[in-house]
Formats: sequence, structure tokens, C-alpha cells
Amino acid sequence: MAAWVKGGATDADTAIGAAVSLLAKARAPVIAGLSADVAAIRAAYDLAGRIGASIDTAGAVGTYAELGALSRVGAMTSTPAEAVGRADTVLVVGAAPWHAPLLKRLTGAKPTRGRAAGADRTLLALGAGSEGSKAALSCPSAGGLAEAVAELRAYAKGHLAGDTPRAELVARIAAAQYGVLLYDPAELGELGVEMLQGFAMELNETTRCFTLAVAGPDQDRAVVPVAAWLTGQAPRSGFGRRVPEHDPWRFDVARQVAAGEVDAVIWLAALPVDRPEWLAAVPSVALVAEAEASLADVVIAVGRPGRDLGGVLWNEQRAALTYWPASAPTDLPSAASVLGALTERLAEGRVASRSEPAC
Amino acid sequence: MLSVIRGGRVVDPTASRDAVGDVWIEDGRVVEPAGREPDRVIDASGCVVMAGGVEVHSHIAGGNVITSRLLLPDLYVSEASPEGHPFAHAGGAAGWIGSTYARMGYTTAVEPAMPPTHALATQLELADIPLLDRGALTVMGNDDQLLQLLRERQGGNAVRDLVALSVATSRGLGVKCINAGGASAFKDGALRLSLDDEIPVYGLSTRQIMGSLLDAVEEIGVPHPLHVHCNNLGLPGADDSFVETLDAAEGRRIHFAHAQFYAYGATEGGGFRSAAERIAQAIADNPNATLDIGQVVFGQTVTVSLDILRQFAGRKGAKPKKWVLNAGDAEGGGVVPFLYRPRGPTSSLQWAIGLEIMLLSTDPERTILTTDHPNGGPFTQYPRIIHLLMDKSERDREIATLPGIVGERSGLPGLEREYTLSEIAQLTRSGPAKLLGLADRGHLRPGACADVAVYRDDTNRTAMFTAAKLVLKDGVPIVEDGEVVEWRAGRTLSLSVESDPAMAKRADTYLTDRFGAGLDSFAVPDAAFDADADTFEAVPCRA
Repeated sequence: MAAWVKGGATDADTAIGAAVSLLAKARAPVIAGLSADVAAIRAAYDLAGRIGASIDTAGAVGTYAELGALSRVGAMTSTPAEAVGRADTVLVVGAAPWHAPLLKRLTGAKPTRGRAAGADRTLLALGAGSEGSKAALSCPSAGGLAEAVAELRAYAKGHLAGDTPRAELVARIAAAQYGVLLYDPAELGELGVEMLQGFAMELNETTRCFTLAVAGPDQDRAVVPVAAWLTGQAPRSGFGRRVPEHDPWRFDVARQVAAGEVDAVIWLAALPVDRPEWLAAVPSVALVAEAEASLADVVIAVGRPGRDLGGVLWNEQRAALTYWPASAPTDLPSAASVLGALTERLAEGRVASRSEPAC
Repeated sequence: MLSVIRGGRVVDPTASRDAVGDVWIEDGRVVEPAGREPDRVIDASGCVVMAGGVEVHSHIAGGNVITSRLLLPDLYVSEASPEGHPFAHAGGAAGWIGSTYARMGYTTAVEPAMPPTHALATQLELADIPLLDRGALTVMGNDDQLLQLLRERQGGNAVRDLVALSVATSRGLGVKCINAGGASAFKDGALRLSLDDEIPVYGLSTRQIMGSLLDAVEEIGVPHPLHVHCNNLGLPGADDSFVETLDAAEGRRIHFAHAQFYAYGATEGGGFRSAAERIAQAIADNPNATLDIGQVVFGQTVTVSLDILRQFAGRKGAKPKKWVLNAGDAEGGGVVPFLYRPRGPTSSLQWAIGLEIMLLSTDPERTILTTDHPNGGPFTQYPRIIHLLMDKSERDREIATLPGIVGERSGLPGLEREYTLSEIAQLTRSGPAKLLGLADRGHLRPGACADVAVYRDDTNRTAMFTAAKLVLKDGVPIVEDGEVVEWRAGRTLSLSVESDPAMAKRADTYLTDRFGAGLDSFAVPDAAFDADADTFEAVPCRA
């Protein structure tokens, strides 16, 4: 096992020991990233629950654009396979979704199921920037993407009228037999997602039209359901008071670090995601597949699920959690097993400290 | 280790047992009186001893349940975690579900709606519910692959093979259909569907789809009959849908989910009145049929259902005003918050109808207590419902607080019946266990799993059934004096069913074309679960 403490290579046991001492001293630890398989996410929650840590994820910007809108107004959603199989009209909102693998599947075939089967598929664009040339009708989003979506919603609702490109866009999507509104929540933002859901709800008064979000490179789509079933709450939650407290502002790890509220971090990235800048500013333990000695105070290399070992991951194409066997097995430990060892050693430490005589 | 639960009032209707006596346990099973000294004596004097409760229809896992937590994060109250489990008191979480059921003396619970497309996530979630044995029903009836087979009249064997493959791949315990064809019809613009209406594009009807699934379930030998959620849930006149569906079963075994929501006879003004008598009579006349109740309880809840047609219609009644509809792969789903307004006329009538069906039942073993958690209300209300069934004066006190419509449009106030403890055991133990085909549960005869609930006998049945004095799971005490004392994992009950390799190959081709990923991506492999836990327990098919 590859492991480093303060930049020096060491063995697993020493690294886990160093991580335990770092965490045992912590009064406000955070487990962040959670770019990992379901077993590791579960192990991270178990550890957080037992030591009173809080949790934040690598994809929180997009996740919160979704969750904030969801808990306020709800949603009308479809899936990638349903969009490919049924949609005769797809409105691509923003520039980011044009780079999603799904776009190729949507442009490469006609719908095959449902009442639109066999029809040509029309792509429409809103705020696509230079990508808009691929669409049958493309409207810029000068003034902001969220505002542009709000305007579409106003046209659909009848609050706006007129012979404008955006009115034409709305007329085209409203005439669809099965429309899809494709977006990237991190790009569209919380207000924009809320507007888009309202737009979809309005369109369903007369036809069928659903939103579909493309996922980021992180595993937030796995973290959210696991967090919900384990704790009853979405991520960005804290367990310092022994009840799950969900607070997207308070448990934003970047904010916490900047405010000096954190005294230890476990950075969990068994699948690669961008390393946050704040990591260097706090005592840290990194469990990562692409390990570097200088990444954190304690670095432990873990297997990458789907490559070094099997694991359950978000499968964007299937829009589901699926099992990925190891494609090139190695004997690197799983992140879940390292987190489990940390939990066990920390529990032993707590028992030992409780049994010391009081003075 | 040999144990005896001594001196309790043992209630086991399957053995016509309702008297003070002993229950002997060894190696996780109930055994004959051993004739030797026990290693452990559990004093149950003054207590009632029953088999562990068995739940057949409670939404405790899956995509809709996840969404409901995200939509309504404050629906349940969280309390500080107990020793031994960091999230057992986190309202609505898996740990809370397991511990709350266990404290009520339940030891087995089944999630009734697992879409095959999301089987792995549902099974992982179920596996995180501690203390209980779990299971899930595989949902079919709206998927294009099945509807294509039917449209092309490929015959019963093809349907049977696809059902068997779906159950085997998802590791379900049984099969459920939810407004068969309704989700498909919704995606193609329909707003309502009855038994013989044509489903757009496919030219099929609910009757045809359900009929083919009824046959498939019998041919495969699934112990649990097809679990049916009929058309037109919650609408005035839904009693017609219920009775027509029962007739369409043509004598084949059939289970009706949350029957209360269909016991709504239409009135002239567009409203409804209780059809409890009609429903109860229909079940009495058809020994092939069973039902669970879907009892309504007052207060805020959230409705979760794969019946997207119904949930779309229900969105306008959302309270608070937000809702999620997912036009998902095959089934779709909807999450709509709902308030059963305390003392409101509609909710009061719904409340009365559920109780009425149970009190009119000629065979409590075919009448299962559920609230269709959380659709009629939370399962935590079972003790209160039991109290109302057992105590006429308690019912009268509650009815006195409700609007007159309860007496005008239901027969509840005139019903004198009080359930006995034996009948409660039929409603919550032997009935559901028989229904699921779990021969070693729901009773205390030798050979049964030593899943046992011991309650202090108390005329306040709500208190009695809320916090058991002692609960044994496989002979191990998990609850003492209403608190969890041992955080052990149960197992997930999963049907052992052979699937046909030719159908697997066909399905793989079909799925790869549709999803860009084949049958493997639908699998629920052991490797996805904790290596040191024995997560699944095989349940055999009927001979």
C-alpha cells in the first residue's frame, strides 16, 4: 500500500495511526469530496456520524442548484434513455450540455418508443453560445440564462406575448409530443433550475415535457441517495450534535475553512476530481486513487472503483447506481476499508480514553 | 442455547392458541417443549406473546422514498442518536425505519415497489435497514419490453420468461403491477385509464397486461400472488375498478394493495361514499383474493407512488404546494406531499372507510393492516389503529370529534365489532406471512423463526403495541423495554427463480439498444454488498 505522512513514504499502519491521531484531536472535522463508490460513501457517513464530523461533496455547486429548487418547487424529470427513446424535441439550455455524451445519442437517432416514434428529432438551443449552430432554432441568453428561462416560462404561462425568437422557441417545445429540457445545474444555477421546473410544469398542462440534468464528473448522484437513506437528509450535513443537521451554508467546507471553523479534513477522492485549494490550509488526510505525497498531511492510496476493485457507482448513461467490476485488479485497499479501519481505531481510542481514571 | 418465554399469554391463531403458556426457542427457531432445563428463562407473566409482525406493503426504500426525503426534509423529527447506531433516530432514515418497526414488534418488512431499472439502489438501501428481514416486489406492467411482447402476441411463455428474468435479476420476492399500462399511457398523453381502455401505441389494456402477469406468476410458482395496484386509485367510483379487476382475475390468486383507496362509491354530486361493504363482500366471496388496507391517519404526510398517472392528477392537491414527477424508465413515479386534514370531511371519511373494511372482514387473515406507508400515513400509527379496532368505545370517542359525514356516508359508527388479540395477530402476523409465502414466519409453532414480540398487556393498546417489552429476532433479543439493545442486521428475502438463458440473451440485446448498457448493469451482485454480511436469504418457489 502506498502511503505518506508529511511527505515521507511509510507503511499503511503508520499512515492510519497518523490519521487517527490527527482526527482524534479534532473538534470540528469534515469529510469532503466523497468522489467514491457507495461502500466508501456509506463508510464515510458512518465515520462522520460516530465522530461528529460534517460532510460536503465535490459536486456541491450543481447538487445544490438541484436540491434547493427541488425542495422549494419540486421537479418534472425524465431519464437519458427515455429522452433518447421518446423525445421529438429537445431544448438544450446553456452551453455545457452540448458537451455531454448524451448529445451524441440524441442527435444520432430518431425516437423509437411512444407516440413520437419515427418522428424527426428537433434540437433547440437557449444560451448555447457558439454551439447553437447545431440547433434548428437558437436563442441567445443575453441578460443571463436563468432570466432567459424565466422569460420562456412567462411566454408559456401567457404572461408574455409577442412575435419574438423566444416566443417561437416556446411554441416549438409546446408543440412537441414529448419534449425534453436538457441542462447542467451547475451552469444554470438554483434560480434557473427553479424557473426551468416551473416551465416544464406549465408545458405539461397541454403536452408532455420533462427536464433532464446532465451530471458532473463527481459522484454526487451517488452521494445524494445514500445520504438520504442513511440520514434522512441530503449532503452538506453535520453530525456534531448527534442529530443530522442539514445546512448548505454552514457545512460548505470552503466557507468553513475560510472562517477557521475546521480543524481536520478527510479528502475522499477514490475517483479523480479537482483538488480544492483549501485543502492545503487545514490538517488533512487524503484517501485518493491518484496519490501524491504532498497532497495532504497523511496520504493513503486507495483503489479506484471500477478499475482496481469492484464498486457501485453512478452510471450516467443508465441514470442509476450500477456495479462496476474491477477492469484491472490491483491489491490497493478500498476506500471503504480504510475508512472502516479509521472508525474502528478511533472508537478504540475513545474507549481507552474513557477508561482512564478521572483525576 | 435453549430459551423459554414463560408464563405469557401466547397468541397464535394458526395453532388456535390463546392461553397462558410457554414458547421454547433453540438455535433461532421455535421448538417443541424440550423436557430439559433451559439456559435462559424469559419471564412473560402479564404479557402477550406473539410472532414478530410482518409488513407486506410499506414504502421503505427506493427512488420515490429518496425523493420524498429531499422534497420534505422536515417531515420527520430527528432525535439524538442512540449508542451503537449513528442514525437510528434520524427521522425517516433507514436506521429509524428498522428500529421503529422493531420497537413495535415487527421483524419483517417488504417494500412493494422496486422497479427493475433501479433494483441495485433499492436493494442497497434495504440492506441498510437494520434489525428487520426485508424484501422487495419487482414492478412490471409498464415497461416497453413487456408491452412489445404482448403487442406482438409472443405468448405466455415469453412473458413468463421475462417475468422470471426480471425477478431473478432484481432479486425480488414477488411481482407487483401498478396501474398496468398507466405510466406508458401517461407518457403518451393520457390522463385516465380504466381496465379495458386502450393504451396508446400498444393497443393493449390493463386487463391484458395484468392477466398475462397473473398467469406468469402462477407458472413460475411465485409464492406471493401478483400484487395489484388497480386503475383509478382514489377516484369516486374506484370501487368499480376494484371489483372489475377482481372479476378479471378469473379465480387466479390476486392481492389488492391499499384497498381503502378504492372503496369510494361515487355519489351524484361527484363525491364519494363508503364502498367498504361492497369491497369486504367481494373479498369474502373470492377466497383467491387478499387485500391490504392503506388506512388513512390524520396529519401531514407525503404520497409516493409509481402510479404517475394518479400522481399527476393529484399534483393539484399537493400540500405544501410542491411535487416531483419522474417520467422514469418504464414506470415513472410521483411524490406529492399531502395533508389528511384533522377533522376534515374527506379525510375523516377515508379514515372511517379503512376501519370499516377491517371491521367488516369475514377473514382477517386475508385483510392485512397497512397504511401504505407513507401514503395513508406513517406506519408508526399501527398501534393506534389496532387500538381503534379492539376498542369500540375508543372508536366512538374519536368519531365524536369528527364531522357528521362519517355517519352519513360510512357504516363505521354502527359497527360493534371489537377485534380480539387473535384477530390482530391474523391481521399483522399470520395473514401477511401466509400472503408472502413465508412458511416459517407469522406463527409460533415448532419450526418457526424465533421472531417473537412480547407486549405488556395493557388496555391502552396504543401504548402496548408502540413499545414492545421484548422482541427476539432469530432468538436474539433486539428490543428490551421498548429500546433497541442489539444492532444486528437482518437479511433480504429474495425468491430463488431460474431464468431462461435465451430470454437473458434477448433482454441483453434489447437493453443494450435502449440504455447503451446491457443486463449486467441491472444486476444486484453479492459483491455490491458488505463482504462480511450474509445479505440475502433465498426463498423457494412453490412446488
